[in-house]
Amino acid sequence: MPGVRQQAASQVGMRAVAGRALPWVVPVFLLLLWQWASSAGLLPARFLPAPKAVLSAFVTLTASGELWTHVRVSTLRAFSGFAVGGGLGLVLGLLTGSLHWAETLLDTTLQMIRNIPPLALIPLVILWFGIDETAKLFLVALGVFFPVYINTFHGIQSVDRGLLEMGKCYGLSGWRLYREIILPGALPSILVGVRFSLGFMWVILIVAETISARSGIGYMTMNAREFMQTDVMVVGILLYALLGKLADLLARGLERYWLRWHPAYQAVR
Amino acid sequence: MSITFTSRPIPASQWVSEPDPRSRGVSVSINDVSIALGGRTVLEHFNIEVPAGEFVAIVGRSGCGKSTLLRSIVGLETPQAGGIALGSASACTHKPDIRIMFQDSRLLPWKRILANVTLGLDSSQMNAAKNVLAQVGLAERANDWPATLSGGQRQRVALARALVHDPSLLLLDEPLGALDALTRIEMQQLIEEVWRSRGFTSLLVTHDVAEAITLADRVILIERGQVALDEDVNLPRPRTRGSARFAALEERILGRVLQGRSITRTNPCSSARSVDAE
Repeated sequence: MPGVRQQAASQVGMRAVAGRALPWVVPVFLLLLWQWASSAGLLPARFLPAPKAVLSAFVTLTASGELWTHVRVSTLRAFSGFAVGGGLGLVLGLLTGSLHWAETLLDTTLQMIRNIPPLALIPLVILWFGIDETAKLFLVALGVFFPVYINTFHGIQSVDRGLLEMGKCYGLSGWRLYREIILPGALPSILVGVRFSLGFMWVILIVAETISARSGIGYMTMNAREFMQTDVMVVGILLYALLGKLADLLARGLERYWLRWHPAYQAVR
Repeated sequence: MSITFTSRPIPASQWVSEPDPRSRGVSVSINDVSIALGGRTVLEHFNIEVPAGEFVAIVGRSGCGKSTLLRSIVGLETPQAGGIALGSASACTHKPDIRIMFQDSRLLPWKRILANVTLGLDSSQMNAAKNVLAQVGLAERANDWPATLSGGQRQRVALARALVHDPSLLLLDEPLGALDALTRIEMQQLIEEVWRSRGFTSLLVTHDVAEAITLADRVILIERGQVALDEDVNLPRPRTRGSARFAALEERILGRVLQGRSITRTNPCSSARSVDAE
């Protein structure tokens, strides 16, 4: 009997492993196909280097410390831009969401500006700030501002009226009502904005760094293009994918922590 | 599972230490109140007097103004005319001793059960909150999230949240409307027990005439914004639905409610189901 049970347990274990492995089947297959095409000479290194070459470029760049410097510079840029733009978006969203006069005063203007793609401002931004750090900070901040702003505004507006009424009946008002009911009620929506912003943050930064920079992943990639180092270019592109994924994981971690009361984030009992 | 509180009831003597619990209640007088919402008159020159400590049930068709009446007492709606007086003071939003229970529990989903009960209290009253939670039979769920509770359990938490303030007037806006029949009977017993031991004044809005007769000293029917029927319920408590007097009274009130329907039949939205007896 114990043998049978053990077998059953190991079967369940195998199934769990299979479940974990399944999402990786396609990427691994594509990687193998890519390697095979490169080795067979179907894919010239001029267009796309073999995975092995990319890996060795990655190792060389890491060993020299160059990669780390670029990643650090880019990450710092991304998050300082996010802090400025996201912070401003949050504050203004809270303001226009909570105070009717602020909405009347600011919302129309902000909605107009929202329709300008941040990247369309690049010529002006270069004119204003040169190709300095400020230019990249400005672009990233502008890019992440609107997702945070709109979702914060919407979150505040859509707080359950019933809960607000209840809070007032139970003697909450002013800051207490805000802290106990309005902010937590708006939080799911605010976090949607944050998550969207974190993705968009990298997109903006890539473009900004590609156009003009003296360091960062975008610079590394563009520099490699000058010397036809396709392997380094692919390392740069993959790094963006990795950093984007990490930012998303961060946002999901925040959601899981702050929204742990939410049925959608509760572990099945 | 949800019958825990009936299996080990807490003696009424432990609920309050006051010698005469009836002294806790506050009288309510609604004088000539008129309320219009969105251009539609809901209550018109409406008058009722509720003595301190009385349990009054308000029945009527959907949209007759029952809920609006409660909402105006708690200050969520402002009457265009007339006055609402409680005891001697006049009603205002932050009056500490009026509490209201809604049809939905309106628990804050981001606060654990105990934190929901202590909403609006200072931390010194934590023990009082725990006691009340034990009285509604949910002490062991204090650290759970509201999302993990059943509808009936949530309403019990909402009741605990209202009771922890030790109200002198408890307004019940169809609090049992969304519950299943069994949970409903349990909740009715719980509310009656609490009311008898604490002696607050209570106004219950309900669609269910049988529920009104089970709980109330007096049943008021609102029709077209005015009192259409005001009937005392002189049955000994606890009341049993099977008794002949209960049934006769229920039939009389229900008949009166339905009679109102034939007059107001022009409104196609109103549903006959809302006044169905169980």
